Amino acid sequence: MENKLTKEEVMHVARLARINVSEEEIERYQVTLKQLLDEVKKIRDVKDCDKELMFSPTTHLARTREDEVDNMVSFDEIKKNAPKVVGDYIEVPVMIND
Amino acid sequence: MNDYKTTIGIEVHAELKSNTKMFSSSKNDFKTRPNSNISVIDLGYPGTLPLVNKGAVELALKAALLLNCKINKRMHFDRKNYFYPDLPKGYQITQARTPIGVDGYVEIEVDGVTKKIGIHDIHIEEDTAKSIHNETTSYLDFNRAGVPLIEIVTYPDMNSKEEAMAYLERLREILLYAEVSDCKMEEGSMRCDVNVSVSKNDILGVRTETKNIGSISSVGMAINSESLRQIKVLEDGGSIREETRRYDEASDQTILMRVKETGNDYRYFPEPDIPFIELSDEYINKIHDNLPVMPNVLRKKYKELNINDNNIKTIIANKDLCKYFESFVNDTNPVTASNLLTGDIMGYLNKNNLSINDINLDISNLKKLIKVIDDKKISSKQAKQLIPVMLETGKDVDVIINEMGMVQISDDKVLQELVDKVISANQESVNDYKAGKDRALKYLMGQIMKESKGKANPSEVNRLLVDTLRSI
Amino acid sequence: MTKYLDLSIIEINELLKSKKIKPIDLVNECFDRIEANKSLNAYITLNKEEAIKTAIELENKEVDNILFGIPIAIKDNILTKDLRTTCASRMLENFNPIYDATVIKKIKEKNMIIIGKTNMDEFAMGSTSRTSYFKAPLNPWNQDMITGGSSGGSAAAISARTVLLSLGSDTGGSIRQPSAYTGIVGMKPTYGRVSRYGVIAFASSLDQLGPMTRNVYENALLLNAIVGKDELDLTSVEREEEDFTRYIGKDIKGLKIAVPNYFMSDIVSDEIILKIKEVIKLLEQAGAKVDYIDVPYLNNAVTLYQIIAMGEASSNLARFDGTRFGYSYPNPKNLDELYTKTREEGFGAEVKRRIMVGSYLLSGDNAKEYYDKALEIRDDMKKSFDKVFESYDLIIGPTTTTTAYKQTEALDDPLKSFMDDVLVIPVNMAGLPGLNVPVGFSKDKLPIGMHIIGNSFEEAKMYMLASYIENKLNLNLNPEGENHE
Repeated sequence: MENKLTKEEVMHVARLARINVSEEEIERYQVTLKQLLDEVKKIRDVKDCDKELMFSPTTHLARTREDEVDNMVSFDEIKKNAPKVVGDYIEVPVMIND
Repeated sequence: MNDYKTTIGIEVHAELKSNTKMFSSSKNDFKTRPNSNISVIDLGYPGTLPLVNKGAVELALKAALLLNCKINKRMHFDRKNYFYPDLPKGYQITQARTPIGVDGYVEIEVDGVTKKIGIHDIHIEEDTAKSIHNETTSYLDFNRAGVPLIEIVTYPDMNSKEEAMAYLERLREILLYAEVSDCKMEEGSMRCDVNVSVSKNDILGVRTETKNIGSISSVGMAINSESLRQIKVLEDGGSIREETRRYDEASDQTILMRVKETGNDYRYFPEPDIPFIELSDEYINKIHDNLPVMPNVLRKKYKELNINDNNIKTIIANKDLCKYFESFVNDTNPVTASNLLTGDIMGYLNKNNLSINDINLDISNLKKLIKVIDDKKISSKQAKQLIPVMLETGKDVDVIINEMGMVQISDDKVLQELVDKVISANQESVNDYKAGKDRALKYLMGQIMKESKGKANPSEVNRLLVDTLRSI
Repeated sequence: MTKYLDLSIIEINELLKSKKIKPIDLVNECFDRIEANKSLNAYITLNKEEAIKTAIELENKEVDNILFGIPIAIKDNILTKDLRTTCASRMLENFNPIYDATVIKKIKEKNMIIIGKTNMDEFAMGSTSRTSYFKAPLNPWNQDMITGGSSGGSAAAISARTVLLSLGSDTGGSIRQPSAYTGIVGMKPTYGRVSRYGVIAFASSLDQLGPMTRNVYENALLLNAIVGKDELDLTSVEREEEDFTRYIGKDIKGLKIAVPNYFMSDIVSDEIILKIKEVIKLLEQAGAKVDYIDVPYLNNAVTLYQIIAMGEASSNLARFDGTRFGYSYPNPKNLDELYTKTREEGFGAEVKRRIMVGSYLLSGDNAKEYYDKALEIRDDMKKSFDKVFESYDLIIGPTTTTTAYKQTEALDDPLKSFMDDVLVIPVNMAGLPGLNVPVGFSKDKLPIGMHIIGNSFEEAKMYMLASYIENKLNLNLNPEGENHE
């Protein structure tokens, strides 16, 4: 078995994460992600006592809220932290696809 | 070419008609000033957490029940991860493992043959922000971000565009009648993706997905053109790729948008911020028992009431009108009532851009009108004149009839006098009639009606006139 | 320089009530001490102007509760309205929240005074606080040493007595481990006790806020103030109101305590094992029953953490994309560049590494292969804890495997950094409460902590044991003082 991931595999992950990675980082991830995966793979050998999954420690059920308007903020508030605003909109470089 | 079988599966997104968004208390209204119905939750601000809208869950449950689904009584949400500026958190909260409803069906009828279209699942999720674009820039409006959606996914159970269109029409009717969604395809509150494949045998071919088609009729055209395209590719020795396409109405072609990445990598995992939701049997039963009557049931009932197909179609297509009609149809002559509603009353409403709910039409007054028409107290021509007055003034039908001097003369004695008077004044026409000229009878009828100022009951007059002429 | 900050909160409360001192006296002393301890780099942002203003306003108010006028420091991943909240990241270097976290609202309702925002690992990702964009805080016991992390700034701020109370967050030991390294009391309450609304999420199913304080009693006081169901956090739990100090000072005779063998195995340094054994002897002398037992699945915690925490984190941090708030790469050529450059430059190396790991372990078939399996083992681990609590009141062991180590020790061994937390992570996995109480010092005069684990919602019982130990040992926990043996 190969002891590192392919460059393409690492680039795919970086693409999913939308993080720009250098050649050097790619090389490092090829090794470290593979090491990690090998470590993580061991979990398959752990004997379980039942098949139940635990998503979260929460044991109570979700409270649901009434369908009533509340807690809105004005766009002026949002503008305070928004990098780029034009009129009533937040601006981004043009979206591709559809 | 004809030995290819087309297989179609459909995914529909419908926006729920709740007051507020799915996971925040912001107003569910995006046809207003941009970024005016937003909250820190909708914008995915750091530290925010989702809240679950009870009303939206109820609407989704209604839909699931109406689509004959099994209900996941213990359900949760999942995260679907991908980056796009219209998706503020970088993930969409949806239901991947435990959709609210599974394994349902919708019954359709094409050319008199009924068929069940299987529903794979119906799940709750949140809508994305709206964006407008120019060459270099996109502008984001988050009013729509977080609006509740249901996605309804069928099995690949349809084999023609007719079936696909019938399915969509049925589905639309159901959601509309249950007041789950507005289902306005042109405004995007109902959106439709179509998966099409073709095959010569029982093994399904590779499918393509045609996205965001703007109307039900376009869906039909898109299926047609996409299946023809696929057949041509195969006949030319090519093969079909899994890809996403869009339908261009102007050229009646589907156009490639993107080839699907090797299994879309959405990295689903259970949403840890929302605990499980349990729908109790008691709650489900309560919702179930209060579901509105569905159009297919009404259609059958109206047919049995001898209402003609055109009227049925018009009434069913207009939910508010149908609701109004339903409120008194069991207590009147349904045929006359449907004629009036779909005829003169609809005409008046359309002319004035009104809906039946706008005009407060008193049901007992309308029933009175139906009765005077059925009893032939007024003619249909008179009814035509009366209806606008009734709709505008809301006056009692009897009062209008009196005021407009509309009472029909049906008294034989009075009518016989009129007949005799006209006959004696038009001896020449009587002779013509005797000589076999039918036109003379029409002329005499006209004279009598004129003499009665239109109030004579025409069928009575006709009977008396023919009898009198014969006896001469 | 005044010395009010060395008094207990009960004493300070008396002085405030009798008007012998004013809140401003406390606030001034805090800022003097922060200035004197500047080299510790415990704070990222000070709230000086606002704190002074609040203190003066409080002069006209009645001292209505024991925490009235008490200065508090807040970990910088908890949103404070109009007070910069950076998460120790370049990504949020200039982020001014437009709302308060629910805990901050509670703190303000009690009229506590927020002194500043404390340093931490970037996005709480780390065990040393060295991943902070604002450089690591230093350990007041020895400035060459790490504070631990991720709540290292809160730990240093309390340990150096620059403030009376602080809030930390704990995803995989981030309150307890730095508390152990700096000789303070740190509690990670039961998952759901404290609202997470307004806390910048790291791993949502593990994150929990908790108090970091000089002593056990004050820890329980602060926990009293911050717990409670919050309509804005569906995972927050509705419980009857309780006073967490209620068992403090009670006799521990008859208390049944379990010590998992794994916690005392050779992964822990001899010095620490020895110290813990000494404490166990004390407990037995006091009439507690202590058993060494096997608890299955504990050794899988770090792997579970890699999969679950990194997976959730990769998703939680997707919102930092340069479009609505935070760092935004200037003049991007296109959308893709906005995303990838913003995240490349806005996040530090460790955060990016963890996002990469999380994305990788959730991608393709990995989610099915490993994520579900991890959730299954997580459930098993929780059940094995449940089983222990059928027979025992509390679980104890060391909080850390070593004492605080050198700032210069290598940072780029990811497994090593998780091994620092190997004893504390199982508690987060199971959602249980865990507490660090100082139990002594190493030969290098560095604090050693004991870890007390309770069953869900049994924090009061944990405080009972912790305060017994605290009283019995009567350590001098002020780094400035003497007798650190």
